Amino acid sequence: MAEQHEQHKITYKLYLMTWGWLLVLTALALGLGYAPINERLKALLLVCTTLAKILVIAAIFMHLRYERINLILITFAPLVLAVILFSFTFPETLGTATHLIRVR
Amino acid sequence: MDSSLAEQQRILASDWGGGKSPFGTSWSKFMMWIFIISDALTFAAFLITYGFMRSISPEWPKQTEVFNMVLITFMTFVLISSSAVMAMAVGAARAANPKLAFRFLVLTILGGLIFLGCQAFEWTHLIEEGARLTHNPWGVPQFAASFFVITGFHGFHVFSGVTILAIVAIRAAMGKYSGDQVENAGLYWHFVDVVWVFVFAFFYLL
Repeated sequence: MAEQHEQHKITYKLYLMTWGWLLVLTALALGLGYAPINERLKALLLVCTTLAKILVIAAIFMHLRYERINLILITFAPLVLAVILFSFTFPETLGTATHLIRVR
Repeated sequence: MDSSLAEQQRILASDWGGGKSPFGTSWSKFMMWIFIISDALTFAAFLITYGFMRSISPEWPKQTEVFNMVLITFMTFVLISSSAVMAMAVGAARAANPKLAFRFLVLTILGGLIFLGCQAFEWTHLIEEGARLTHNPWGVPQFAASFFVITGFHGFHVFSGVTILAIVAIRAAMGKYSGDQVENAGLYWHFVDVVWVFVFAFFYLL
């Protein structure tokens, strides 16, 4: 029983540490939002902090690190599909140079 | 015959072999994951549509001038904290400690309610300033439209989460809960937090 109690203490400590790291990453993202840097660099760095945050939440809070690899991989499906959707739609906004088919 | 049976068993034991429980979770947890994945697709579509509309707009209002960033940061803080407390509620429920689980669940619900209160305040303030789905005083109509649709959908998810957590908390207080039930509600709550991480970074900060 005492051993089990000790185990729970460790778990709560891990959650508290995770909470602290998430706050640090949030502060970092907030700093990036105000930083006078190139918009593209800012977007890239914000994507990085966001990915770091969701990986921490998924692995520790959502216990994904204890799941089987096939469940872990299907949870990444939306992210992969989002990247595909993004790469299909975004070139449209960059001007006519990227259009493969020109209507004339 | 024997070798094919052994082969079949080897395949079933592998991560990709299927078998009785291919994902190694309870059915309810697996269904929650399937729901979260489909819900994530909805939000992915919203955020990419927003990105597309923003990039085809001639200009986009400066968010820091329109939104109260102190309030938004506070809301982010509250949601992340409630997520951490929720993780502890799942830990307490798994350790068969319903009293502690109930306390953590109440704290989580409180976080959700504070978040919803702040959002209601933010929406009221922006609507008073003239923001509508079809037009707004700061620039292109898509700005306020994507704001209302994205934060509205997210806010509704927070509201649903608070409702589910309230049901789980009442059941925990009655001693009628299971570790799985708290964990599934927790998975949903963390997902709501994950969506907010995206909204905070790409709608408010970028």
